[in-house]
Amino acid sequence: MSEQQTPANAYGSRNGQDDVTHFGFRNVPKSQKAGQVAEVFHSVAGKYDLMNDLMSMGIHRLWKRFTIELSGVRPGHQVLDIAGGTGDLTMKFSDLVGPSGKVVLADINASMLQVGRSRLMDRGYAGNIEYVQADAEHLPFPDNNFNAVSIAFGLRNVTDKDQALRDMARVLKPGGKLMVLEFSKPTNPLLNKAYDMYSFNALPLMGQLIAGDSESYKYLAESIRMHPDQETLKGMMENAGLVNCRYYNMTGGIVALHAGIKP
Amino acid sequence: MFPGPTLQAAASAIIENALNRALELDPAGRQSLVKALTGPVQLDITAPVPLTYTLDQTGERVQVSSQPPMEPALRISGRPLAFAALAVGDDRVFADGRLAVDGDTGLAHQLQRALNQLDPDWEAAMARHIGDVPAHFLGKRLRHAVKWSREAVRSMNANIEEYLHEESRTLPGRRELEATFGDIDELSLRTERLEARLRLLEDREITDEPENP
Repeated sequence: MSEQQTPANAYGSRNGQDDVTHFGFRNVPKSQKAGQVAEVFHSVAGKYDLMNDLMSMGIHRLWKRFTIELSGVRPGHQVLDIAGGTGDLTMKFSDLVGPSGKVVLADINASMLQVGRSRLMDRGYAGNIEYVQADAEHLPFPDNNFNAVSIAFGLRNVTDKDQALRDMARVLKPGGKLMVLEFSKPTNPLLNKAYDMYSFNALPLMGQLIAGDSESYKYLAESIRMHPDQETLKGMMENAGLVNCRYYNMTGGIVALHAGIKP
Repeated sequence: MFPGPTLQAAASAIIENALNRALELDPAGRQSLVKALTGPVQLDITAPVPLTYTLDQTGERVQVSSQPPMEPALRISGRPLAFAALAVGDDRVFADGRLAVDGDTGLAHQLQRALNQLDPDWEAAMARHIGDVPAHFLGKRLRHAVKWSREAVRSMNANIEEYLHEESRTLPGRRELEATFGDIDELSLRTERLEARLRLLEDREITDEPENP
């Protein structure tokens, strides 16, 4: 499937239709997107880690590792991991902040949160981690509360991304860092074509074979194409009030890590 | 920028895992290394590709990052071979200037001492996989091979040196060379003295000239 199939104005309301947003390549009422995304994640939660390893051939661990390395998180810091899912980043942050710090693992989806919580407890992570079921657009935390906020592979599922970025900036302490790790646009046209073929053919097939659900992985591929590209997301972060915003293309731009500082 | 973030993260992950695996084989050494790491240490590799790594500790593990820390306690910069020499316990690597140090030099020496004392028990690690007797047999052979190759390299260097100096006379002998260098230094010194004396005589001649001949 090619890029031409994506609507031209994908990132916000279009043609005056303020009450609709995209869900993959389909338009759905804004009020329904969160519910539909929730269904996708309820469906894939159990096989989430296995599918991540298979789909990215394990490279997602390196993308997450770079995010941790860039975070500058130190002992005693307060960290918020939004859409933390099965807790990959939370685990590393928990090691870094130590017993004097705190990590909040937040996810809107109860199933994902449950899987993450069980996984972290099984591995002995306790004491400096809190679990919160929260919507990224309306974070239940006071202003100026965290040294670092991260959202890995979650922003594209959020209905109002601008509102979510504003709220993440709100809960950051001045000088705190927001990191958005998300699928993006490959910089090389050849890689882009190969990536399209892989996403729209192999991913749904793998989803069907491993998780017994091809539709959720079709949504994954479509939602990646509908997500803002590197420069657009950087602009959105600047509009949310962050400064020194920059992005790091990883694996040819398939994924990009955006980072910005709250002034 | 080369290498990209993904490769940088892969490299730091490999180094971190290898380092921690090796430290597991020497618990006492690990303890002193972790104790020595009182703050983040930034390692700047200057060539062939400029790279930065940070060493820090979290709990009992040494953590390696491909990003510079906000406030490094110590910065060490140099070439990869000099870092390799530090890792194997070369205690002249700072004194020779092969590695430049900026920041807490006490921490640098603590780190050097801790690395010097590291003695991973490779035989025990091997024994876990293949059993005690084969591991001891292999360990003995390996130690013998390492000792033999060190002796062989030392002896080969001595033989080559002797051949070049004494038999083929391609290069002058060390003492001959030292004597020649000594003569050159002496000649250079005497020439400078002569030049100074001539300049003095010239100056005297100019001042002795009558104003109205």
